[in-house]
Amino acid sequence: MPKCIIDGREVEFKPGQNLVEVAASVGIEIPVFCYHPGLTVVAQCRMCAIEIEKMPKLQTACSTPAAEGMVVKTKSDRVKQNQKSVMEFLLINHPLDCPICDKSGECDLQDNSYKYGDSYMRTTEERRTYMDLDMGPVIQKSMNRCIHCTRCIRFGQEIAGIHEMVAVQRGNNTEITTIDGRPLETDYAGNYSDICPTGSLTLKDFRFKKRVWYLKKTPTVCEGCSRGCNMEIQQDANTVYRCVPRTNMEINKYWLCDEGRFNYQYIHDAARVLNPAVSGGTAGLQMTEWSQAVVAARSSLDGKKPMVLVGSDLTQEEVQALQQFLNKHLSGTPIFHFGTPGVTSTQKDGAADPILKRKSKTANLNGLEKLGIKGFESVPSGVNAAIIFRGGRAVVPELKGVGTKVGVGVFNKPDAEDFHAILPGTSFAEKDGTIFNFEGREQKFKRAILPQGQSKNLPEILMLWANSGAVGGAA
Amino acid sequence: MAKLLSENFYKEMGKLEPRYPSKVALLLPALHEAQKETGWLPPEIMEEIGTYIGIHPAQVREVASFYTMYNLKPVGKYHLKICTNVACCLRGSEELVDHCKKKFGIELGETTPDKKFTLMEEECLGACGTAPAMMLNDDYHENLTVQGLDKILDGLK
Repeated sequence: MPKCIIDGREVEFKPGQNLVEVAASVGIEIPVFCYHPGLTVVAQCRMCAIEIEKMPKLQTACSTPAAEGMVVKTKSDRVKQNQKSVMEFLLINHPLDCPICDKSGECDLQDNSYKYGDSYMRTTEERRTYMDLDMGPVIQKSMNRCIHCTRCIRFGQEIAGIHEMVAVQRGNNTEITTIDGRPLETDYAGNYSDICPTGSLTLKDFRFKKRVWYLKKTPTVCEGCSRGCNMEIQQDANTVYRCVPRTNMEINKYWLCDEGRFNYQYIHDAARVLNPAVSGGTAGLQMTEWSQAVVAARSSLDGKKPMVLVGSDLTQEEVQALQQFLNKHLSGTPIFHFGTPGVTSTQKDGAADPILKRKSKTANLNGLEKLGIKGFESVPSGVNAAIIFRGGRAVVPELKGVGTKVGVGVFNKPDAEDFHAILPGTSFAEKDGTIFNFEGREQKFKRAILPQGQSKNLPEILMLWANSGAVGGAA
Repeated sequence: MAKLLSENFYKEMGKLEPRYPSKVALLLPALHEAQKETGWLPPEIMEEIGTYIGIHPAQVREVASFYTMYNLKPVGKYHLKICTNVACCLRGSEELVDHCKKKFGIELGETTPDKKFTLMEEECLGACGTAPAMMLNDDYHENLTVQGLDKILDGLK
């Protein structure tokens, strides 16, 4: 492999790699604003300018491919002076409202200002201000904080495939905007907030909810569709505040769709059933205790011919435990998986858009097929009861002729009013597990928060169920 | 959506299209042609141009707002664009601007209530050798003085 010298170190590189990447590969940071590895290079912020021997002027590292024998200095006085000047220019019109800005703590402008800027400012002029028009339900714009890096414009054009963010006017009056306050049309709007190096584009969902340095981060896999995008759950005190994409060049690159990003909201939904509940006849679902609910669930199936429906949003481990349980305690019961209406097998799954989304809105359709479970098409003859196991995503199909329903897992109260019993289970954030995405890629994810309310993991619930009979139906 | 631009516009565009490597390159001539028809570029017309060229209307707005020769607001019958860049400024263009402001009782970027005059400041008109310069609609007027400007303006109906 060819070699170049960065700050006195010999560094190997792949031909075509730019200097920012090459330097990063050996842990040398070159500060950037407009450069993003997933977008085209424009070299307009000038922050990454570095010195290359035998070149009279500073060169932008993002737009300069490394070359054999190149001698690069990233920490010379000239480079440092340039970085200071660029920071000073960028901050001339920046409001420095970090104390009330959601980006504070993970802001490129803030970090680079600390590391490379000066601690004082020479300008006393009034700062440029803008009126912010709305941008739809996902993104909150604060144009005053913008440094015109145009990452958002390039994201819209190159990744989201819709050129709805533009720079209108010019020079000092340049404004990044959608026209006339139109809402953003793309389903990937959340990424605008991730790639913004300042607090100009922040999530409305996360606005003023939490300072980012309080958030604990757990790597996980999105359960929004069969793509299995890598993401990170960020939580504090057992409450999930947001999900952000994790880079995985083979699956989702740097991006995440809004559906997956905001999918976590059901975890803390007020309508989620978090206590064991049994049907109280006309009074609807009544909260009760675990032991009573399990007995009620069991006895409601007495004399009935049940089937088992497994949501394809459950993990391999859960479904395997369930299969063992069924073999032992309910052998012969027909078992089907369910998830997205119309997508009952991996053959019927497909790309829902050219970017990331898949038609199957549950993550583990492939895994359940691997375990030999068939998709649910219609209620088999004679079956008049169903035990429904569900994570947070699968859509319970219409069950004609099924009088008795028992739910195990995550259910919303309005959808489960006619159930005989509900044993509350856990969502993807509250458990460990393995899932297979549509390509057959096996991915493990880790628990981010403790089970909410009284909900329990599926193996535990199955154990309670199995034991409730052993002690005479009253555990 | 009913078409706001005339048959003639689409005919002209059809003629121009083979001259360019891509349809997006038609954007500038299309904006000029549309402005010729309506005098300015209302959002609906920019939308129509976007649909015709096959780009998002935001891109049309981006381009139209970048260039000062596209009017994003209605303008009067006579559109005065006075250059205030270095050469013209040194040769007294600011006096010309002040004079016009006083004469018409309007600020920069405004139109007189009778919709006759619009006053605008222009970046370099490329006429530095004959500064100060002004564009009146599509015509250049150079080596201007306050008296000379008055003469031109008073000759207008």
